[in-house]
Amino acid sequence: MRTSAAEGAAVPFRGLAAFLWTEVLVQAHENLAMATSIVVQGVLLVFVWILAPSLIGVALVGAVLFSMFAMGQRVLNEAAYIRIDHKANDLYLAGPLSPEAYFLGMSLGILVVYLTPVVAVGVLAEVVIRFSLVEAATLLLLALAVWVFAASIGYVFSTFFRDNRAIWAYSSLFFNVFGVLPPVFYPFDRFPAGLQPVALLMPPSAAAAILQNAIGATSLSSGELSLAVFGLAAESTLLFLLAILWARRTVQEV
Amino acid sequence: MSVEALRSEDLRKIYTQRGAPPVTALAGVSLNVHRGERVALLGRNGAGKTTFLKIASTLLRPTSGTIEVFGHDVGRAPEKARPYIAVVPQEGKPFFHLTPREQVYTYLRARGLGREVARSRTEESLERMGLTEFADRLAITLSGGQRQRTMVATVIATEAPLLFLDEPSIGMDPFARRDVWESLRNLTRRGSTILLTTHYLDEAEALSDRLYIIERGEVLVTGTSEDLKRSVGGTLKVSLAGGARVVESFRSFGSCVADGEHLTVIVAPERLGELMELAVRSHLTATVGPVTLEEAFLRVVGRSINED
Repeated sequence: MRTSAAEGAAVPFRGLAAFLWTEVLVQAHENLAMATSIVVQGVLLVFVWILAPSLIGVALVGAVLFSMFAMGQRVLNEAAYIRIDHKANDLYLAGPLSPEAYFLGMSLGILVVYLTPVVAVGVLAEVVIRFSLVEAATLLLLALAVWVFAASIGYVFSTFFRDNRAIWAYSSLFFNVFGVLPPVFYPFDRFPAGLQPVALLMPPSAAAAILQNAIGATSLSSGELSLAVFGLAAESTLLFLLAILWARRTVQEV
Repeated sequence: MSVEALRSEDLRKIYTQRGAPPVTALAGVSLNVHRGERVALLGRNGAGKTTFLKIASTLLRPTSGTIEVFGHDVGRAPEKARPYIAVVPQEGKPFFHLTPREQVYTYLRARGLGREVARSRTEESLERMGLTEFADRLAITLSGGQRQRTMVATVIATEAPLLFLDEPSIGMDPFARRDVWESLRNLTRRGSTILLTTHYLDEAEALSDRLYIIERGEVLVTGTSEDLKRSVGGTLKVSLAGGARVVESFRSFGSCVADGEHLTVIVAPERLGELMELAVRSHLTATVGPVTLEEAFLRVVGRSINED
């Protein structure tokens, strides 16, 4: 009987791989967006190279972390766009695809497609800094945490909008407040002392500070390091869990 | 156990927004759709059709009342109902940077279908919807009608037990609409159940086993299109150009609706000759045709389906 085909309801992350692949195909056709995804980072690197070439290593590490943040931020635009313009929520979520697979598949799909330029910057950073194995692993872990935070907050935030144009302003705000202004591309100790705890609670600058500390570009006290590490871990984990719950909750409008 | 494909009981939806008066979109809708049936919801803009479909397809929470899909309470456990359904959303679009083939295939895979089944259903669905020629072009390069066909192809390829289609043939040319109708008939022959909303009365008539006419969030009448047409009181419709000024002379023949200068009279075949004689004496031009769903809709709702 036809209805028997519909067994296995409510499986967490059901359809994740397939929706990830869908998003990869969608994003892979956006050649121009891929090519321009790293322009801001490139420009900031050029500024640092001209103004303070000795800081280029710090800036390259910052560019990797900032790019991961920017990729997470793309989720904000993509989730809102396909919900508002394409009614993809209605098409995909009124079916067996699980809401968390929809969120995570979209986020991972964007990550897969836009990762190549970030890896290139990472290789450049390796050439300049010569990471130890531990430092390289730390960079990977930090980049992942920053991406999880940004993708999660991007998805949650996307659900509040009914008009795409309203998002552009917020997207730009997030981009600059989290990525450009705080000490991501420059050493943590150059940031005003009174605001340093704030920077340590912002995931991209916290991650940058931890790595700068690891490679000797800045020196964090144990309290500062703890704040950065635990803050980043807690924010990323909690935001990710919130995004999963939010994805489930917002399938059904009130 | 034989449960209905869809059953709603006193379903209400009231939209509330801060600083604005509440809006009642559904005012106690009770309806059912039997397994294997094709049922159309007919109504003017804002009648509540899309709200009903969104609640039924688990995307909108009702204010009160119950609604079940194959016995699963949509309000309380939507995740249990979802595997049974697929939806063509109103104004939905395929991903612009996917081809129709990619769109249909990846959607089926995301619903959990295996590679081989997804591949064969994709090809079959694209062919049925006349999309084979455009199957490898990005959706952004397709016309509005072709994109809508892609949406329908995507959803019918699921062969889900219950399909919701919100204005499925909007923007399509007459040939494409007929392809959609035929595909939907095929699906119900294979066991699926279909609930659709439409503005096209000919579509509702050609496609549905049963109709619900909805106005201001309430079901006004249900039945087959033949039932509804019979309820008009005659089987022939006579349009009289310039007849509006002499409407009183024609009232005895049946129901009369004046629209500008025109007068439409519903009449039984045995009184047609008499009516035509009066039309000639009154120097009116008459056009005779069968009663359609339009007249039934007018009689039930009191307004044309296209009237806002």
